[in-house]
Amino acid sequence: MNTPAKILVIIPCYNEEATIVDTVERLRATCPEVDFLVINDCSTDRSAELLERHHYPHLDLPVNLGIGGGVQCGYRYARANGYDVAVQMDGDGQHDPAYLSAVVEPVLAGRYDMCIGSRFITRQGFQTSFMRRVGIRFLSWLIHLLCGHRVQDVTSGFRATNARLTAYFADHYASDYPEPEAILSATLAGFRVGEAPVIMQERQGGVSSIRSFKSAYYMIKVSLSLIIDRLAIRKTKR
Amino acid sequence: MTAHFQFLMILGAVILLLIIFVLLKKGKMTVKYSLLWLGLAVVLVIFAICPYVVYVLRDLLDVEMPVNLVFMLMFCFVLVVLISLSIAVSQLAEKCKRLAQENALLEKRVRELEKKP
Repeated sequence: MNTPAKILVIIPCYNEEATIVDTVERLRATCPEVDFLVINDCSTDRSAELLERHHYPHLDLPVNLGIGGGVQCGYRYARANGYDVAVQMDGDGQHDPAYLSAVVEPVLAGRYDMCIGSRFITRQGFQTSFMRRVGIRFLSWLIHLLCGHRVQDVTSGFRATNARLTAYFADHYASDYPEPEAILSATLAGFRVGEAPVIMQERQGGVSSIRSFKSAYYMIKVSLSLIIDRLAIRKTKR
Repeated sequence: MTAHFQFLMILGAVILLLIIFVLLKKGKMTVKYSLLWLGLAVVLVIFAICPYVVYVLRDLLDVEMPVNLVFMLMFCFVLVVLISLSIAVSQLAEKCKRLAQENALLEKRVRELEKKP
């Protein structure tokens, strides 16, 4: 390829006034060559005002769609504007833009269709709480059971997808528990999903979209959605 | 079935028909969703006017009391209505999501166009 790849960083933002500016500025300082798009999911705080004041490219969702619908909107934008790689990155400062190239590189090289930034390969940096790790382990095991593919950090929201998978996600993206479900549906649809080691930080503000992780309720709902997805999606080879 | 119960069924069916009619007239319900309810009202009237249908059904399904059969059928009917409503809500949610996303994408384009001199 002669022309450099067009990369879009999708930053979902729901009430992240404390961290969004910092996150974007760090991204711009570390990777000035990539485009980014903040998706303001109908925040009730000053996020929208901040985005407008700093002239960041952003989408304002008219109603709150949740993380899945917001990120999918970003994938639609990426598809419509012909981006080669779309990267999802949280707006709360958990994901260090320094690792952007680590996540994007395997996708650009064509090794994977989706590359997930994983905390658990080198086991460095913020490793989240014990209960969450148990939950993530279980979901990882369940996804392995359902599609025969092992991904360790199934809830990581730091992930790069190539143009083909971006187009697929633009049309099919789970809205309720998108991170684990996206792995399963992409694998079942015949895409190659892999991981790259990254170091994450503790969130600097805001509230996780997986608030109820502690409760078994979340696990049951995610597990059920995964099992239903497995039954609903026909396995295809690409 | 007692004459009393037959009368109650007809009364219920008439009230149901009236409610549906008023809702349709005021535009609070679309014809598509009223069909199921209208169907229920018609079946109730049939049961009330000729109980023979209920007796035949009772013998076929081996239910002891004809009234129980009517209750069971109505319960099944309500289940069908509830499931169809769940389907409708899910479809609406999906459409609503698509619209919101499209709206956000368009809004960004408009915003950028307006900024251009």
